[in-house]
Parts: sequence; structure tokens; C-alpha cells
Amino acid sequence: MRLIFKNLNILRSTINAINMSFEIKEIVESAGHNLPNLFEFSAFGILWKEGSTIYLYQEESCPLSFTQEVAKNMVRVFSTLGEEPSDVTRVTLQVEKRKLRPTHMMMDSKATLKSYLTLPLAVEGEIIGCISLNSDQPNAFDAQDLQFFSVIGYQMAATLKHFQRFSSIKTIAIYDSLTNLYNRRYFEERLIGEAQKAFYGSSPLSLVMVDIDHFKKINDTFGHTEGDKVLQEIASLLKASVRKKDTVARYGGEEFVLILPEAGIEEATMIAERIRRLVEKTLFEVGKAQMNITVSLGISSFPIHHAESKEDLVRMADQALYDAKRGGRNRVCVFSGL
Amino acid sequence: MTERGKEEREGKWTADLVLDLHSNLLKEIWEVVAALIGEAVLGLLFHLAIKKMGEKYLFLNSLKVTEEGISMDEVVEECRSLPAAEIHRGFQGLINHLFNLFSALAEGVISREVFPKVFPKLREAERLISQK
Repeated sequence: MRLIFKNLNILRSTINAINMSFEIKEIVESAGHNLPNLFEFSAFGILWKEGSTIYLYQEESCPLSFTQEVAKNMVRVFSTLGEEPSDVTRVTLQVEKRKLRPTHMMMDSKATLKSYLTLPLAVEGEIIGCISLNSDQPNAFDAQDLQFFSVIGYQMAATLKHFQRFSSIKTIAIYDSLTNLYNRRYFEERLIGEAQKAFYGSSPLSLVMVDIDHFKKINDTFGHTEGDKVLQEIASLLKASVRKKDTVARYGGEEFVLILPEAGIEEATMIAERIRRLVEKTLFEVGKAQMNITVSLGISSFPIHHAESKEDLVRMADQALYDAKRGGRNRVCVFSGL
Repeated sequence: MTERGKEEREGKWTADLVLDLHSNLLKEIWEVVAALIGEAVLGLLFHLAIKKMGEKYLFLNSLKVTEEGISMDEVVEECRSLPAAEIHRGFQGLINHLFNLFSALAEGVISREVFPKVFPKLREAERLISQK
């Protein structure tokens, strides 16, 4: 009886840990951390349909062949449930190795999969993945193990479903649906964080405003559908021209904005000029015609322009963009303070 | 010929018995396995098995499975015009497929719990059919 209470307590804290997780890796980590107190196993895995990934938390002495066997078996069981993927080569494997056993019980390098428990992760009649306990020992699991594992699986499925919903809401909330760039709201939020880092850490931060020249003419001549295609193409060029740490967002209409953390005025000018040249050289297919399009760009930078707030940075970049337009378009202007 | 004799000749009497038997059998499976893996997952496995076997035995598609359990009401209606052997084969196929799924998921762990309770009833159904 005391053993049952002990196991129930472990089960409770495992479920609690799963509930507190904010991403799938954390679920695997927290479950993997608690599961050795409930079961004796060699590898614990989650196959998540979205992204076709198997996350494995396993004993550090697990040989590669065992890992592959587990992955293959999980995919096989998943296929039996009538779900993709049916081919292990189409699955991404992410493995976390931990010391689950004392040294004298290390796994043999030729260890093979001898027993397993696999359960579908089901929410509201939909299978979103499966979880699996695997062992190199024969008959390693019994009915009570299955009962405990199913309770854990139930909780994981609910948490993962919650992630799925949250991530689709998050996608709607932060992305511009036409260009797939970040939207203005996300830009504002991101700028708060980057400006704080820059102002308090005294690291440089630059902002680039980008505007498509004569975009109204494209819309009026070729229609909004063609105009939208131009916006999408320019968005791709912008994404391809920046560094990993930069943020590219649609500011509104045909205007875009770039946040360049740790970039001083020289680096920002280099990136802006690269974008201007790339757009200028690209031949855009608009309707049945091929045409050249240009962009104007305005730059503001901290600390050189003495911006005291994020609003200052936006205003200064906007002013520089206005200068670029007034100066004849297809050019990069840096805030001059005049 | 008496009414009962007529029913027996047409296989009706046996069909009702086979239906009763399989109804109890499925309920037994539900109770034992739900305690092991939960109603949600079990319901899903039943749906998979019904979908698979329902292609061949159409009457199985009338089985209603929810997290509360299995309802046979519509199947009983569907089976009124079917021979007992056909009903038996359909349910047997469904149960076999369920057992395949159980084995795929948990090797022998589920089967070991369910089989002793289910096997005698399956044999009973087979005996009834062979008597006909």
C-alpha cells in the first residue's frame, strides 16, 4: 500500500511537471526526469506529428542501434494507428542522453529492443502523436506500468494540444498574413526589448525604414493582386538580406521596418545599401510584364543619433526615409538631425 | 412448425444469442482495457478497428463508441436480416483487429489481462455457430 502511495505521489509530481512545461522539449525533459522513479526503462520517446519529430530521452549508454530501433518501432506503431509518418527516414530525431542507471548496469553495445509500451496521444478523437517507453530487458512492463503510463500520456496529450492551439494563436497574433513577415504589433513589442537592451547595455541599435517607390502606380496599373505579389517578393528579398538576429516587419501598406540589434551606423548602411541594390537588380514579374522596382530607405541609429526612446528611433528613421524620397528615391539616407 | 422452430431454422434465434454474446464480450473488453489505458485512447482504438473491419462487415459501422462505452442498439437493428455466422465473423474480425492493435501498442501486456476473460466467451460463440 505504501508503495502505491509513493508511486501516486511520483505520478502527481510528473503530471505537475508536464503541466508547467512551455514547450515540447521541456515536457520530454521534465517527464524524462521523473519517469525513472516510476519505471525501469532504457528510452522514453515522444513522437509529435506536427513537425514529424521524435524526441528521445534515454539512458546515456544506449547504443545508436538501440536508438534507431526505438525510433523505427515508434514510427511502425504510429503507422498501425493509421497515422503518418510511415517512414522513419522522414522523421527528425532529437536525442537527450541522461544517466538513468548505475554504472554497473550500463547497456550492452549490442543491446536490442526487447519490450515497449506505446500509447497514442489522443485529444478530442484526434491522434497528435504517441509516447513510448522502451527497454532492453524482456517483459519489462506490466499492467500497472501501463496504467501509470496512460495517465501520463493523457496529461501530455492535453498539454501538447494546448501548445498547438497556443502556437496557432501566436502565429495569427504576430505575423502579417500577406507577407509572412512580423506584423507591426510584434515590431513594437520587439523594439521595446531591443531598445531596453541597447539603452541600458550601451550597445548599438539601428532601425531601417523601407518604402517601395511608386507602389501606388503599380496597384493602379496592374491591380491589387499584382501589387500584393510585389509586396511578397520584396518581403522575401528583405528576409534574405538581413542577419539572423535582425527583425523584419511589415510596418503598414508598402512600408517595412528592420530592427538591427548591435549594428552601428556603418553596418546598418551596408545592410540597407545591400537591400537597395538587390531590389534594383531584381526583375519583377507584374502581370504579363517584367519591370524594375526600387525602394527608398531611412536609417536611425543608437547611440549616434542620441535617441532617448524607441519612439525617437522610429521618428528619426521615418525622417531619413522622407529625405530619401525627397532626394529622388532609390537611395539610402541616414538621419541627419536637420 | 412452432414459431421458435421456425426462428431456429432461419438462424434468428442463434443470431440474437451471438449478438448478446458479442455485446457482452465487447463490454468486457471495454471495462478491462479502459482501466489500463483510459477511455479516450480505447475509444480511439475501437474507432480504428470499426473503420477497418466496417469495410467488410458494414453492420459494424453502426456500433457507437463514446468515452462512456459501446452502444449496440443500432447494430441490433442492422443485424436483424443477417445470418448468425456473418454476425459472428464480423465481430470476430473486429475483436481480432482490436487485439492486433493492443499487441502493437503494448505487446502482451493488454492481451494478458483481457484474454482469460474473453477467450471462453469467444469459444462459446464459436460453439453456438457450429451447432447451427
